[in-house]
Amino acid sequence: MKPVLHTEDLTVAFGGVKACNGISLDVYEGELLGLIGPNGAGKTTFINAVTGFVPWSGEVQFDGSSLKGLPPHRIAHRGLSRTWQSLELFGDISVRANLEVAATKLTPMMAIRDYFGSSERVAERVDETLAVLEMEDIVDERPDDLSMGYRKLVGVARALVAQTKLVLLDEPAAGLDRNETTWLAERLRQVIDFGISVLLVDHDMGLVLNVSDRIHVIDFGKTIAIGSPSEIRDNEAVIGAYLGAGGGDE
Amino acid sequence: METYLQFMLLGLGSGVIFAGLALGLVLTYRASGVVNFAHGAIAMYSTYIFSSLVDDGQYPIPPLPNLLSMIEAVLGWFGIQVDLPDIPPFVQLGDPWSWPMALIGALATAGLLGFLFHYLVFRPLRYQPPLSKVVASVGLMLMLQAAIVVRFSNRPRNVAGLLPQDGVDVLGTTVPADRFYLLAAILVATALLYLVFQRTKFGIKTRAAAENEQFATLLGISADRIAAVNWILAGILAGLVGILAAPITGLNPLNMTLFIIPALGAALVARFQSFWIAVWVGLAIGAGQSLLQIMEIRLPWIPDINLSQGLPLVVIAVAMMARGQVLPSRGAIERGRLPMALPTRIRPRLMTFWILFAAAILIWAPFVWRQATINTLIGAVLALSLIVVTGFSGHISLAQLSLAGIAAFMLSSLATDAGWPFPLAPIFAALVATGFGIVIGVPALRVRGASLAIITLAAGVAIEVFLFKSDGWFAGDSTRHVADPSLFGIEFGPNSPFFFGDGKVPSPAFGLFVLFMFTLAFVAVIRLRQSMLGEQMLALRANERAAAAAGVNVTSIKLAAFGIASFLAGIGGTLTAYKFGTFNMASFGVLGSLSVFAFSYLGGIATVSGSLYAGSLFPESIGTLAFEKLFFPLGRYEAYLAGLFLIVTTLVQPEGIDVFDRRERRRIGWGFVLLWRKATGNPDRTKPDWVERIYPEPKHKKGMRPSPPATVDAATTHEDGGS
Amino acid sequence: MSERVLTIEEMAAGYDNVAVVRDVTMHVDRGEVVALLGPNGAGKTTTLGAISGIVRLFGGSINILGQDVPKLRSAYLVGQWGVVHVPEKRGLFFQLTVEENLKLAPRLESGNTDEAYELFPALKALRNRMAGTLSGGEQQMLALGRGLLAQPDLLMVDEMSLGLAPVIYEELMPLVRKVADETNAAVLLVEQHTDLALAQADRAYVLSHGDLVLQGKASDLLRDRHLIDEAYLGAEALDQDPAVAGSPAADEAEAPGE
Repeated sequence: MKPVLHTEDLTVAFGGVKACNGISLDVYEGELLGLIGPNGAGKTTFINAVTGFVPWSGEVQFDGSSLKGLPPHRIAHRGLSRTWQSLELFGDISVRANLEVAATKLTPMMAIRDYFGSSERVAERVDETLAVLEMEDIVDERPDDLSMGYRKLVGVARALVAQTKLVLLDEPAAGLDRNETTWLAERLRQVIDFGISVLLVDHDMGLVLNVSDRIHVIDFGKTIAIGSPSEIRDNEAVIGAYLGAGGGDE
Repeated sequence: METYLQFMLLGLGSGVIFAGLALGLVLTYRASGVVNFAHGAIAMYSTYIFSSLVDDGQYPIPPLPNLLSMIEAVLGWFGIQVDLPDIPPFVQLGDPWSWPMALIGALATAGLLGFLFHYLVFRPLRYQPPLSKVVASVGLMLMLQAAIVVRFSNRPRNVAGLLPQDGVDVLGTTVPADRFYLLAAILVATALLYLVFQRTKFGIKTRAAAENEQFATLLGISADRIAAVNWILAGILAGLVGILAAPITGLNPLNMTLFIIPALGAALVARFQSFWIAVWVGLAIGAGQSLLQIMEIRLPWIPDINLSQGLPLVVIAVAMMARGQVLPSRGAIERGRLPMALPTRIRPRLMTFWILFAAAILIWAPFVWRQATINTLIGAVLALSLIVVTGFSGHISLAQLSLAGIAAFMLSSLATDAGWPFPLAPIFAALVATGFGIVIGVPALRVRGASLAIITLAAGVAIEVFLFKSDGWFAGDSTRHVADPSLFGIEFGPNSPFFFGDGKVPSPAFGLFVLFMFTLAFVAVIRLRQSMLGEQMLALRANERAAAAAGVNVTSIKLAAFGIASFLAGIGGTLTAYKFGTFNMASFGVLGSLSVFAFSYLGGIATVSGSLYAGSLFPESIGTLAFEKLFFPLGRYEAYLAGLFLIVTTLVQPEGIDVFDRRERRRIGWGFVLLWRKATGNPDRTKPDWVERIYPEPKHKKGMRPSPPATVDAATTHEDGGS
Repeated sequence: MSERVLTIEEMAAGYDNVAVVRDVTMHVDRGEVVALLGPNGAGKTTTLGAISGIVRLFGGSINILGQDVPKLRSAYLVGQWGVVHVPEKRGLFFQLTVEENLKLAPRLESGNTDEAYELFPALKALRNRMAGTLSGGEQQMLALGRGLLAQPDLLMVDEMSLGLAPVIYEELMPLVRKVADETNAAVLLVEQHTDLALAQADRAYVLSHGDLVLQGKASDLLRDRHLIDEAYLGAEALDQDPAVAGSPAADEAEAPGE
């Protein structure tokens, strides 16, 4: 199988501080890869780097070509999208409009055609996504008016609605209670069935262990384990790094 | 050579006031994260107080809405003439004051203004987005400026000099001594501030709160009180600089208010952080301007185009391009929201009704109402331009009327001087304005919020100085003429007799033309709000980086917003130019831009229908005419009230009059429905569709929301059932 | 001896309009070290924020030494009551010097910062350096030093070990025990490093997804570690979703201890 996202030695430095130190990983087509690691291991920075928001060094290949130097919107147009830990929805336009913005690769010609009412809207894809995630009854709400669980879901839907090949989810379960997390987990599995690859970053080990096909564990730049959820669950090094139980070589 | 040196030293006079204001800007920014556009206005206001106390012993009372005069007017409707007491414009406080007493009085006023700004305006706004803070401070600037115009008129005023003016010989040239006293005063003030900030506990606390308000709170520091003290200090400082420097710079309500622009430039270079840098740059701008003035005169190879006046813009532009987003943030959370962009629907029947109604007024109503309608519609077109750039894309522009002026000038050149035919000339004129607008929009690619307000304000001033002023490129002093528009032999100019002409300018035919143009613009902007382009603008406004991640080409969308807005402003400008067939560039000044911004924001900056309310707020429009007919003439109060209500709007109803009106209509309409049902014994409590359509009630309620959606369980069970 | 310093009853708190923690009831007494544990995103930091008044309280009550925590606007008062909160990012002002940071300690009328230098001699040489230039360990010392200058009645430390090398935090951690023993202050410790925190603590509370799921004596919890691990790994979530992992019961049994 070929990786849809391949990073090698991806490093992000802010001044002298390395926020993300040489992360190498592969996400294969149609899989849900969980990326976990302790606080401050640079997981969010990794997502920011890959999606073009911070300058990085190393190599990032998406769908066979390098992403070096591309601005965020061009990366999005290639089919790599993301969600945000802090949601960052477009709070004051409807859920449908949120999705339409993301679903559209607006060219000047298209903007003009659409303005005069003659372009085929992206309605179909939007409707499809809404249906898959079972959000039909909130399409006309503004995200600001929704509960946290739904807002997270809008974030996910917005990332999926473009012709997305890979979506990077940054802490989708943060701030959700247990019911909502379970609910979200089910939706994520549906996404995979939809033929989209997912990289999931979350602190909720339960969620990651539940939904991932493979899990990649990092700790300050080094990969300490890669494997299936059950392998990871039994891995001493992981438990050490993550729970502080015994802390490695005590 | 001596002459150059002499002029540089002379320029220290204005340099000191720039530096002093910049110092205050840095102080208030460090204390509370606010860029105070009204800081120059505080200096101006206190200088007037000082001058009034010293000359006449009078203390001006700020204009207050006098409810009694309302009562007078209402009684007047029924033919009852009463003369209720007015609020006196001044309090007489004995003989003219000695200067030390007057100085104390004026500085106390300045300090009080600083405190009130903080306590009544910026403290309540502290968690609001930067846009709201900028709007409020622009409101304060307009208000103080207008208050002085109301009390003292526009005329320049002589201020008693406190500093000795005898000449001092420096390196072979003679310079009045007051320059050096001022220089010494500002340097001492800076040194004192610097020491307070470095050495005292108060200073350390201020710096701590500026770096991170929340961490400071954890240490028991009240960022609020710290800010209040600093605002008072900044106010006093502004007053002091104004009073001391006024004999050199001259005093009128506008000039000192606009000294804020070079001061903003200096503060920007200092990143609103360093007192010393701000002061040195302020001084350098003053000296540099003076130097440029003499160079223009002396050196033949320098064009005489008021280069000196462009210096602040250059400083601001360079500081911004070199540094990008220069204002450091305070680590405070934004909890506020931008004005809601409720969609406006195209409702053909309703629109046809209003168009016919407006047309009827234009054709048959008395001349004053015809003129008022035309002014309203032209104002509404200008407001539409701000609705696109500020309401939709979230970028503040304080130069929209300048763009309108450029279009007006181009129109008169093309249509009259070059003889271009009708649709071509105004369209091309608006396109030229669009070009300028996009150039002004370029900084928006890197900065937003207060920084963008600063650079657009500076650009507006520069356009006014370079192009519109009497010695500018457009030779704005003289009256310019515009040929009447006509198409296929039909004339619809302001003088055109066609169609019920009563010989008064502007004619009904022109009114119908304006109505047509407005309707076109109105529908175009409604359509924009619904189109994908509009959605992308709103997405950009809500969250720039999330928009980029969602594939929005941020650069193009921003420039498109600026371009469309400038085109609309240009159309507004051409209509203004056509209105009487003649116009003067002076009517497109920067103060006008600020008023247009204020009216647009008040009317409803994020809803297309808000443009009509905005239009009704312009001078000599329907709204103001109706107010004056009913109550009392507004005259100079208009700008004052606009400023005042602008501040109130940002504080209580960011959506402006439009949404306020929709909400009230919904409430009243729904109330009537309920009453009717009660009277007819109908127990139905469901809301009819149109109630929601007028104004969809936001479901956002304060407090805790029932968190997990009820549908969670429903969805889960549904899933289980399915699998 | 055991005066209640902090009493929290049925507290709900969070940001915007979303409650991050719900229905939390807990207390801390004088001279006691209490650990607040739980996976990330469980609401530990939010709880500390609510105690210091900087996070909005939606319901319930928080009482510190007889006074109710005030509204957001007056949150600074809590700092003056003798509550020291060392936040996750340590709460230092990077553009201020070490000495200036120390001078900001609440309830330090004398302005005498020597005590902090006695406690952490390493800081002495750095007193005129900008706090932003210090190493992570030095920053943590500075934050703790400043907190202790205020002679707290309640000391709250959020993630002391975050971003620090084991050598350093293993040295700093016992300090909180010492503070509780010597000054009779109440200490509330938020920590990701479970074992480390339990080693110092008398009691512990465990949060998960904003709910209090476990509480007890530190020694008991150390003995029954699997209870905590389950809370962390979300064993219950596994329980609820039989579709994913094979046999939930087996998983539960195997998941932690091995």
